[in-house]
Order: sequence, then C-alpha cells, then structure tokens
Amino acid sequence: MRLAVFVSDYKITVDTLDRLKAEKLGIILVGNGVYHTTIKENGNPSPLLKKSANFYVLSEDLETRGISSSNISGNIKVITYSELVDLIFNDYEKLAWL
Amino acid sequence: MATTKLGFIVQRPPYKSENPKLALTHAIASQSVEVYLKEGDLVTADIAFIGDGVLNCIKNQKAMDIYKLTSTETHIKMALLLDLNILVCKEDLARFGLTENDIVIDAEEFGAEMKTKVVPFSEITKMMEEVNHLLFF
Repeated sequence: MRLAVFVSDYKITVDTLDRLKAEKLGIILVGNGVYHTTIKENGNPSPLLKKSANFYVLSEDLETRGISSSNISGNIKVITYSELVDLIFNDYEKLAWL
Repeated sequence: MATTKLGFIVQRPPYKSENPKLALTHAIASQSVEVYLKEGDLVTADIAFIGDGVLNCIKNQKAMDIYKLTSTETHIKMALLLDLNILVCKEDLARFGLTENDIVIDAEEFGAEMKTKVVPFSEITKMMEEVNHLLFF
C-alpha cells in the first residue's frame, strides 16, 4: 500500500505512525505539523523525522508561521498546494490524517 | 480607586485553533472597559507565552498574504501598541532553539513604545501571583 499521512499537530504520538505499515510511506506536514521541520526541542530534531518515509511540507503553512522555506533540510520536500494535489492523485493510494 | 490585574497565559501553538488569538483579543478588549469603571479604577492585562505557546511569537508570519487572516504576530503588535505587558518564557524559547532575534520584540511600525520581554519562568510565576484573575489559553 502506498500511504500518505497528514500530520497537522506539533505534538503527536509517533506511536501511531510506528504502527502504520506501508510499502511506500509519505508524511505530509501541514498546519502546526510544519514545526517538526525546524524546531529542535532541547537541540534535538523532531523524532518524527527519524521515520523511514518521504517527507513533504506545505510551503503556505510554513510561511504563515514565519518559517522560511530556505531553512528546511534537504530530506524534506517543500511543496505548494497544487503539488500536494498532484501527490494525492499520483503518488499515494490511501490517505490518513493524524 | 482600584486596579484589577488580569493575567493571560498562552500555552498552545498558533493557528491550529483560535485559542492563542483569543487570549490576545481578550487582553486587548480588557482595555476598552473604561466606560464601566468608576473614576480612577483601572484594568491591566499581562500576557505570558509559555511552553509551545512561545511559537506564537515567531516573527515574519505571513498569514495575511496567504490565508487573508490577521496573523498572531499582528495581534501581539496590537497588544504592544496598547502598552500591554508581554512576557515570553526564556527557558521555553531556549528549549526550542529560538532567540530574541526570532520573535516579535516591538511594534515600532505602529508607533508602539512597549517591547516584548523575554524573562525566566520565575518572573512569569511572580506575575501569576500578583494578578487578580488568571486565564489559561
């Protein structure tokens, strides 16, 4: 299964993500989920980013919160709304929202 | 002559809910109650950002450009314009790897003289002890 998971909270239970099995896993950071990309709590990156997955973050939600796309590390792809629509229709079969 | 002190504590990040903005709008609205007060009476409002709430203070928010929403940053600046005391927890900022350079410190473009104060949590505790009414958001 090709599964894309939307993460829209900053505090989430990574446990739930650990239980999701997919041959291709995409994690799409939207809303307050975008803080996972840059905020380093006690100097540590978000544990979410340790997951084996393709990471995406919505540029509009980054900019809304005052985070520049240029600060995002290379393993996270910054996407626009229209690119998100392409992802949903072309790259993943199922979607989940945490 | 009496002063009623209000303390607003913001502990949630912005935008997912209206909660942090409500703290700011309530604090701002508290300054418009003069008509209901006796001569010489005052209402003051302090706002403290703690925990995840410090994320509200990150500057350069583009909510208006993208979603046509007044940004939380602008709300903070309006509170500064009204001379409200805005405190940001120093330890929580450090926990997120943020510094004073990353947050809204002043609202000079609106003519505000007040500035955001980055303070240790002990000072926020002191403020909480001093106010008459404490509201958590």
